Amino acid sequence: MTQTWLIFGILSGFVSVGVALFIYFWVMRQDAGSERAQEVARWIREGAASYLKRLYTALTLVAVVLGFVIGIVFSFDLTQLGSGSVDISPTNGLIMAGAFIFGALCSAIAGYLGMAVAVQANVRSAVAVSDTLNKGFRVAFYAGAVMGLAMVGLAVVGMCVIFILTGNPEVVLGFSFGASTLALLAKAGGGIYTKTADIAADLVGKIEVGIPEDDPRNPAVVADNVGDNVGDVAGMGADIFDSYVASTVAAMLLGAAMTGGDSLKYTVFPLILCTLGIYASLIGIQFVRVGKNGKPGAALNFGTIFTCVAFTGMVVGLVLIGGYDLSVLWSTLIGLTAGVVIGNTTEFFTSEEFKPVQETAKVSNSGAAITIITGFSYGLLSIFPSIIGIVIATLVSYYISEASGVITGIYGIGISAVGMLAVSGMIVSADAYGPIVDNARGIAEMAGMEHEVIKRADVLDSAGNTAKAITKGFSISAAALTVLALFAAYAEVIEARGLTLEISLRNPLVTAGVLLGAMTPPIFSALTMLSVTHNAFDMIEEIRRQFREDPGILAGTSLPDYTRCVSMAAQGALSSLVLPAFLAVGLPLLVGFLLGPEALGGFLGGAIFTGVIFALLMANAGGLWDNAKKFIETGQYGGVGSNAHKASVVGDTVGDPFKDTAGPSLNTLITVMSLVSSLFAPVIAAFHLF
Amino acid sequence: MAVNLFLSLIPEALIASMLSPEEFGAYYAVGTEKKSRGQAIFFELDPKFRSKDFRIEEGIKRCVPHEDGTPKRSIYISVYRVLENVPVNAIKKMYLTTQDGRTLPIEPAGKVPADGEGLHLYREISPVSPLVASTLGPQDFYELIVKNPSSLVKLPAVCFAELRLGNLATDPQHGEVGDLPYGNMEHLRNCLTDLSTKQVHTKMVDRMPSSGIPFRTVKNGFFVGSQEKLIYFPLPQEEELVKDHYRWWRSATM
Repeated sequence: MTQTWLIFGILSGFVSVGVALFIYFWVMRQDAGSERAQEVARWIREGAASYLKRLYTALTLVAVVLGFVIGIVFSFDLTQLGSGSVDISPTNGLIMAGAFIFGALCSAIAGYLGMAVAVQANVRSAVAVSDTLNKGFRVAFYAGAVMGLAMVGLAVVGMCVIFILTGNPEVVLGFSFGASTLALLAKAGGGIYTKTADIAADLVGKIEVGIPEDDPRNPAVVADNVGDNVGDVAGMGADIFDSYVASTVAAMLLGAAMTGGDSLKYTVFPLILCTLGIYASLIGIQFVRVGKNGKPGAALNFGTIFTCVAFTGMVVGLVLIGGYDLSVLWSTLIGLTAGVVIGNTTEFFTSEEFKPVQETAKVSNSGAAITIITGFSYGLLSIFPSIIGIVIATLVSYYISEASGVITGIYGIGISAVGMLAVSGMIVSADAYGPIVDNARGIAEMAGMEHEVIKRADVLDSAGNTAKAITKGFSISAAALTVLALFAAYAEVIEARGLTLEISLRNPLVTAGVLLGAMTPPIFSALTMLSVTHNAFDMIEEIRRQFREDPGILAGTSLPDYTRCVSMAAQGALSSLVLPAFLAVGLPLLVGFLLGPEALGGFLGGAIFTGVIFALLMANAGGLWDNAKKFIETGQYGGVGSNAHKASVVGDTVGDPFKDTAGPSLNTLITVMSLVSSLFAPVIAAFHLF
Repeated sequence: MAVNLFLSLIPEALIASMLSPEEFGAYYAVGTEKKSRGQAIFFELDPKFRSKDFRIEEGIKRCVPHEDGTPKRSIYISVYRVLENVPVNAIKKMYLTTQDGRTLPIEPAGKVPADGEGLHLYREISPVSPLVASTLGPQDFYELIVKNPSSLVKLPAVCFAELRLGNLATDPQHGEVGDLPYGNMEHLRNCLTDLSTKQVHTKMVDRMPSSGIPFRTVKNGFFVGSQEKLIYFPLPQEEELVKDHYRWWRSATM
């Protein structure tokens, strides 16, 4: 029966990818508009393509080197390590290296497809919205669905194929590590790129030269629009792909660790949940429509709720008909509910309709310092509901599962993480919609479309911002549950090698590990944000140079050199990734080999706790400052040009790398660190200094 | 190439130029090398205008193309007491240029708008530039400071804009600020409250407001008056600006 489910999973994955391709061609058939609009879109498309080319070239190198290392390490029979004589099996090494590269490849394909459609859909959405809001919305949302469906489809195909071929969830762990490594670099690189361009474009364009947002005279305007795609489409897509796969593989490992005849059944169960999630997303996507009230945000929310309801119905059917213990149903549902609730509490802290944003806007009248203090404080407070949600999901799923006597509590936690992420097809579709409509608005502006069109594009854009904020809260919380499950998986792998893992703070090695781990997310955040400031500084000089050397740019008689800024942003982002990548992959290994498995356990614990807290703080505070500025721009507290507005612009600029660079990369960081620890756990168990 | 005469208000100057008004606005705002930035407000004068107070002919003679054939951008004819010596009949059109060089032409209207309900806020542009709150409508305000001053203070001519006060015009103490971007709002409220409770017609709000005028705060338009008469240059409604002058409107409202 499990084999049938796995084959059904592969077919469902192909169905998902097939529908994504069908939608892709539907999007391509839409009107691409005037010559001018197409020219602007071409600049963005070429900029995105040049970044992706550089990114994937660098990632290929990383994947080959890491794949080689993994191939060598896993060629040894790890169960015999430290025993004096070790069997060598190159096939094992090849399989693990292949799984790693396959994971990276699937993640790359999903990101590439998402980007490919996003840079085509942006102009088509701009043209469609000139007809009606609904048409513009449809083009953008369906284009986002290409990313969502391709992502979940490829992930399920990849995991099922590997499990069918090897029957070993530890090999699926290699697949997950490949996906996560790519995700980390894509997310952090995209985050650095997008904010470098955004900040440089704003600081010179708006503040120094006094030209409006998305003005084609700004040399960084194309890089800014490319950044929306590389950060929020390719980056966020890869990020959720990574969490999606990691949560599934963690639950599979915990299922495999369970004793008894049902072990295989529960090992495959996470994959079945993902498969059902595909169909729930496919159904939910059909129900995303802007009705007569013309509210895109409500349409996206309705789609998400409908997907969750459909998924719930399918899981209930599966558990009852398939003879699974009811505790897995409750664990799935608690995860799903927690994901939706946490996502929506994010909205409370980042939406203009609620007190945190309104109060931050109000106090901006007193200057930038108090804007920063207020926004930061609400960012800290925003941690509360998410952490409570994670705590409830963790405890309820654990104790319900333990009480069942059939599955372990920790497996229940793993299943709640899968439950949260199983509807990622819909979540990513809504998220990828955001940058597409953001681009559509920019293109409408640059192509000189009518104001009515720009106003409609603004309505679409506003809903996209909310969707993005919700997805960030959702993905961070999902990553938190995932890494808790991975942490347990790490312990299982270590204990399977005959070691006892006592992670107690009375052990100085564990304390050292906790402190080192707790330090890592803040250091990672600092490195990525400093990269943004360094790269933005260089780009600011370039923009100034172009304005200085060619007066025709500001006069509107000659075009700026857009490609120079695009190239600088790409080069800067990729060269900034070396140290953050080392922190993610090298530091856990260093701690493990030097201080031992228990210290590494402490390290993971420390990194998980500060990682989740920093990620929530930064994503929410950044979103809050952004929307406080937008709230003032609607005509509150003096509107544009007032002292409150000037202070809110400072807050927004500070928050930009918080919410789009460091914050969303942290969940990928802790996932990668947990995966690399679990993957290399057998080696660390055999070789460690202390 | 024809030579145009421009009366600039920021700073006050009479300038001869071979540029069209739109080109002149862009040049004046951001400079030849596009290295500077700043609003410009100027009038296009009747090219036949001549006055014993200015050496216009001499300026026009010096206004010849450069050796490479490009037009001469500016010859300053006078930079002092210009407005008072230009008859308002010589003024043809007004031009508002944003800080990044987008220029909007405004035609004069037949008559000055009627005084509405509530208090008023005036930003004088030339020859002096304070921010003044007043109980008087534009016509009466002009008469008070140019034609029939009730105090020792008198201007020979003036150009000013009426700025929006929103709810503060009728409820200075409690009215919502909304999108009014003025600094030191408490002081503005106090000034407006004083006008409601004391026997004064005007109250100085700010002796030296920051240079430039947020065009989006202009209530109805610009007024220029001398001893002869007052002319009104209405700023188009926002809908018209968005529809017909979108680029200017975008720059003016950022």
